[in-house]
Formats: sequence, structure tokens, C-alpha cells
Amino acid sequence: MLSLRSSLKTSLKCLAPSTRMLSSSSVAAKSTYRTPNFGDSLRENNDPDKSRSYAYFMVGSLGLLSSAGAKSTVDSFVSSMCASADVLAMAKVEVSLAAIPEGKNVVVKWQGKPVFIRHRTAAEVQEANEVQMSALKDPQTDADRTKDPQWLIMLGICTHLGCVPIGESGDFGGWFCPCHGSHYDISGRIRKGPAPLNLEIPTYEFEEDGQKLIVG
Amino acid sequence: MSFSSLYRVLFKRNSVFVGTVLASAFVFQASFDTAVTKWYENHNKGKLWKDVKLQLQEGGDDDEDEDEDDE
Repeated sequence: MLSLRSSLKTSLKCLAPSTRMLSSSSVAAKSTYRTPNFGDSLRENNDPDKSRSYAYFMVGSLGLLSSAGAKSTVDSFVSSMCASADVLAMAKVEVSLAAIPEGKNVVVKWQGKPVFIRHRTAAEVQEANEVQMSALKDPQTDADRTKDPQWLIMLGICTHLGCVPIGESGDFGGWFCPCHGSHYDISGRIRKGPAPLNLEIPTYEFEEDGQKLIVG
Repeated sequence: MSFSSLYRVLFKRNSVFVGTVLASAFVFQASFDTAVTKWYENHNKGKLWKDVKLQLQEGGDDDEDEDEDDE
């Protein structure tokens, strides 16, 4: 590039028609226009790399600033679609399991819905496991419905029309929906009545060695 | 680094040039954010929630730990 630049200088100075063809287009060579002599205006000892690097640096800096600005604009639009902190705070509920004795039901509210927590006895777990799959309307093993068989956690909304079933009642020792008479067993599975599906299981986690339950 | 080597390394190929610009945009944004946050927190020292929270905890935590969910 340096040699090209110096050849440009000499070509401008001598203005010989044969050396005037600087551009790749041949039209320039055919032109009869006589290029004026810029030799006096060209700086002596000019470092072409310096000025060129300066120009490219400026172009690059502008590109850097505008791409950073574009990125943060896109960021702010995308992050405005995220759930806000108050929504996230309401999205989970913590329950201390140590306070629930064996064989007792607890109902907590999670996202406006009741969640049934039952601390099941060993006999109840055995009873839930002994049920034949063929006897179920919505076949699901007890192991599929619980992470820890001692704890049954499910949404307390009847799958029929959304009433809240009553605990420790019904023909199967589980839950009974008073609205239309759906009977759920000790694993929350539908056994009798109009409801089509088992009681729904929310996502939940046990923490602190099973001492704390986090629903959501 | 002389200007000619700067030119040869960074600016000569457009792909390298644009790549450098985009990569340094990420670095620039992170450092700019950090610098602005640092300046802001230094400028508003004592008024921010993290400082106020510490003060409240020292003063007595009767306001804290009351928000157990009691439904």
C-alpha cells in the first residue's frame, strides 16, 4: 500500500497519461481531463499508516459505541418482558415440614390456589401402593405422584369443576369433593365420581434435608 | 506497536475489524456499567437500601422477620 501511495504522488506530479490509470475502471484512462497538479498540497514525510489508523480507529470507536448502545436498547426491551420481582416473590411458597405431624393434612395457598400437603403414615403409603392400576380411571403409580412417599403434595382443586375437596373423607380414605361427589384415594387419584383426572401435582422441592418444602 | 503493524493486525481485514469492534463493545459495556454503578453507589453512600438495611439491623431487628406468611 505504501508503494501505491508513493506512486500516486509521483503520478500526480508527472501527470503522464500512461501512469494516470489509478482506478480499476478504464474510463479514467480514456478521459481527456487533465488532472491538476496536487503535488504542492501533499504533505512531505506524511506517514500514511498513521492517518489511516487514526481514521479506522475513529470509525471503529463509533461502531463500538453504537453497537453497545444497540445492545443495551435490545436488552431493555427483552428484560421488560421478564417477570418483575413482586411476581417472582409471589410465585413460590415455603412450608416448614417439621411442624406437620404424621397423618395430618395442611393446606397452603400458592398462586391463589390451595395446595394440599399430607404427611402420610407408613400404612397409608402401603395402601396407596397396593392399588391395582386396572382399578384406576387415570392410572398413575404412587411413586409417579410423590418425590418422597411420606409427603403427598398436590393442588387442592377437583379436576371435575374446580371445587376444593375435603380431606380425610370419602370412600377411599383420601379426599372427597362435596360439589359432585368425586372420591380421591390417599394418593390423590380419582376413584369414584365425575372427575376425569387425578389431583394435579405442582412442581416442588425439598430443602434443608427435607425440613422445608418449596412449592413452585 | 507502530501504526503499520496496528493497521496490518486490526484494520486490514474487515472481518477482523468488525469482530474486534463487536468484541470490545461487550467489554466496554461491562466495564462502563461497573464504572457507572461504582460512581453512583459512591455518590449516594448512606442513602442506598443496603446501607439502610445494615443500619436497621444494628438498631434492632424488630421490623425484620415479621413477614411470615400467615394465611
